[in-house]
Amino acid sequence: MDQKTVKKGCAIAVCLYVLLMLLYFCISGDSLYYRDRQTAMLSGSGVIGEITSDKEVTQAVSVSRGLLTGISMRTGCYDRRNSGDLRVEILTDGALLAETDIAARDIQNNAVTYLELDEPVEVPDGSVTLRVTAPKGREGNAVTIYCGDSISAARASVKVELAEEERAHVNGEALDSALCVSLHLREQIWFGQYFWYFAAGGLALLAGYCLYILDRNRKGKPLAVLNLFIAFSRYRFLIKQLVARDFKTKYKRSVLGVLWSFLNPLLTMMVQYVVFSTLFRSDIPNFALYLLSGTVCFSLFNEATNMALSSIVGNASLIMKVYVPKYIYPLTRVMSSMINFLLSLIPLFGVMLVTHTPVRLSILLLPLPVLCLFALSLGVGMFLASAMVFFRDTQFLWGVASMLLMYLTPIFYPETIIPAGLMPIYKCNPLYHILRFVRAIIMDGVTPEPKAFLLMIVACLVPLAIGVLVFKKTQDRFVLYI
Amino acid sequence: MMIQANNVSMRYRMTTDRISGLKEYLVQLVKGKIKYKDFWALNDVSFDVEKGEVLGIIGRNGAGKSTLLKVISGILKPTGGSVTVNGTVVPMLELGSGFDFDLTGRENIFLNGAILGYSEDFLKEKYDEIVAFSELGPFINVPLRNYSSGMIMRLAFSVATVVNPDILIVDEILAVGDAAFQEKSKQRMLELMGGGTTVLFVSHSLDQIREMCDKVLWLDHGKTVMLGETTPVCDAYENV
Repeated sequence: MDQKTVKKGCAIAVCLYVLLMLLYFCISGDSLYYRDRQTAMLSGSGVIGEITSDKEVTQAVSVSRGLLTGISMRTGCYDRRNSGDLRVEILTDGALLAETDIAARDIQNNAVTYLELDEPVEVPDGSVTLRVTAPKGREGNAVTIYCGDSISAARASVKVELAEEERAHVNGEALDSALCVSLHLREQIWFGQYFWYFAAGGLALLAGYCLYILDRNRKGKPLAVLNLFIAFSRYRFLIKQLVARDFKTKYKRSVLGVLWSFLNPLLTMMVQYVVFSTLFRSDIPNFALYLLSGTVCFSLFNEATNMALSSIVGNASLIMKVYVPKYIYPLTRVMSSMINFLLSLIPLFGVMLVTHTPVRLSILLLPLPVLCLFALSLGVGMFLASAMVFFRDTQFLWGVASMLLMYLTPIFYPETIIPAGLMPIYKCNPLYHILRFVRAIIMDGVTPEPKAFLLMIVACLVPLAIGVLVFKKTQDRFVLYI
Repeated sequence: MMIQANNVSMRYRMTTDRISGLKEYLVQLVKGKIKYKDFWALNDVSFDVEKGEVLGIIGRNGAGKSTLLKVISGILKPTGGSVTVNGTVVPMLELGSGFDFDLTGRENIFLNGAILGYSEDFLKEKYDEIVAFSELGPFINVPLRNYSSGMIMRLAFSVATVVNPDILIVDEILAVGDAAFQEKSKQRMLELMGGGTTVLFVSHSLDQIREMCDKVLWLDHGKTVMLGETTPVCDAYENV
């Protein structure tokens, strides 16, 4: 390859890397340095009674090390306007860490009230004690806090065994339930502290690799990376034509044509929405968007793998007559599904607007999970395409396997109902990681933690590597079996 | 040297029963009943072709001629030996590979051209020429499913022969369409083959071989019987 072209390519790669790192830094903002976490809140089953000036409510809450930024509690006001303040103090081993006041008139009935600390405080591993008092509370003019002894999981609630010291105490007397409170903790992320070191390390590696490529190319030695580029530029026109063919013929004789790319996911989502919001109640916030994001991603995977599955067998006549690198066939099939997917993102954005989901910068990270989804589909698709050549049973097996995979992916149910025993299986499912990532950036508007990035990328590159390897090993024998 | 074939062998393994299912395969494997019968479609064939040379390949049905062409065009990978090809190969083995019947003639020109390895610029430049040669006129914007079989063959031939490749692989001179178009297509083929390109040419017509070729390879049951100048090989072949 021409040395000048290679130099240009390397320069582009380096610039792109720097740009991406800067972009990542800007998008992630504060979430690069810390993540906010909330401890679980019990569901309220009763109240502890009016908090008057002669009452002191204490509650021990177990925490892990971090910065405490605020406290939420489920409060009640007996449907009246109360005056005075509610004081919440946080103590460790009897020493006062922080305190915050809230006006009683701001407290609504059966609502979660958030008390922000003026200054975040460091809490140690173990437990802290909350002390709630109302200096001016008197009977008929006091607020209260809910308490309970169960947590809600999906549609059921699970009873929690509370030890004596975990229960709420009023004036030192233990109740039989605990306060409905939740601590807002902020955890430092060590990756964030060293972000620029990592970025610089990556840049150094990339630059080193570029120099290596340039050197090898100058000596005229072949390199896998360059060969990939050569092959791509050589077969670009063919890939374009094949993708265009797939896309054009898909809706060729239908009245609505390309509109089906929008309608299909939207209609699927609507059916599921009706089923899961009436028959099976679920309490996922913004369920429409939750469903649609899951549906759209899974249907890309499903369509791409099924199309790739038949790509070699279906093009048998072509493969036996003309030489074209065989990976072109599954690749183009996955690419045309990809175009379909990109079109189905439009209704997704539509649903975001309709449900008033705030659009945050983090949505700019979307290309990454999409790329991972592409790699995953391609890897699985290539594996299936070669398996299909030798065993036609593959198509039926995959029909069942992909259905199993669908139920093993939280598309229409919340993650919280997954039993802990099954979690290891979920963690092996690349779609699980992708969906978590996508929902974090679209629905929550946060940048996922570095671990989530790493897990998602690895979970997709492994199937890709396996698929490519199997395909490469077997492709010479395809023509004998189709 | 444009093509160099060294000891090319191609083996097909034929199972006594065709197995096409996983269950069946496992059952047969456990029983130890998978028996292969080896069939050598090509056995130790060597030759080379210089730039601009026309090599004719003759032999009876099943001699391995088409297999050899497929090996050279890269469709089949030889079991043994090696083939080195320097330059772009256009195989004219079968016409209309990859035509899509839902697309129009115009779209199919680009699709088929891409499959045959032409570049986009080349196709755009030659587009008018292709349409003119195919005599399809206004039908070029009609989906292929509405074409007659003659029209499809004419279009396929026009796309396939617009090329100017380094190496041309021809399995019989293709003559398609009605009498007039057959004459026209035959002329086009001869023109292509006589234009200084390197050609591999398989034919059952010895007259065509004698007329076109510089060198002839005679295959029988996958083995080389004779390789050499056109006249002596053809004479020997005729006398068998």
